[in-house]
Amino acid sequence: MRNYEAVYIFDSALEEEAVNEKLDRYHKLVADDSEGEVTAVDHWGRRQLAYAIEDHQNGYYVVTHFNTEAGRLPEFERLLKLDDDLLRYLIVVNEGDLSTSPAPAPEEGGDDDEEDS
Amino acid sequence: MARHRKACPVCEQGIRTIDYKDERRLSRFITERGKILPRRISGMCARHQRQVGSAIKRARYLALLPYIAGSES
Repeated sequence: MRNYEAVYIFDSALEEEAVNEKLDRYHKLVADDSEGEVTAVDHWGRRQLAYAIEDHQNGYYVVTHFNTEAGRLPEFERLLKLDDDLLRYLIVVNEGDLSTSPAPAPEEGGDDDEEDS
Repeated sequence: MARHRKACPVCEQGIRTIDYKDERRLSRFITERGKILPRRISGMCARHQRQVGSAIKRARYLALLPYIAGSES
């Protein structure tokens, strides 16, 4: 059993309900019956992407922490790759004390155009 | 002309783990073009340069940081 952190970027057109539904489905794969446990779920909500992914300018970010057996991950990732509404995902081993919350003082609207002086 | 090395900015702040999701903090270590600052400019120790480097690469993959910045066509 290891502790993992996953970041999902969903299509921003998706309603929050649909996102929750998908997350439920994912969580069943990593943590059902006795094994595994989802320890944290944090919705960052819609954010502007730093660059366009498949023509999307915005994405719906969700960060989760979970414990699971390493053997479950290949099947889990296979399902994630099949999901067309999931623009990106990243699963990393949570070593240390990563927080699920977004960077301090997130601006609403995600207006981060400081590089264009 | 022997200049002595500045202290590593990450060591100074006493941050234990570098979070790839904290793009505000990471943005201090990229150029305005989005490149990772070299160690001679960032002044980081080897360990933190490496950790910040991988954190920036993860953040780029998640579209928190740009691969190439400042070239809006």
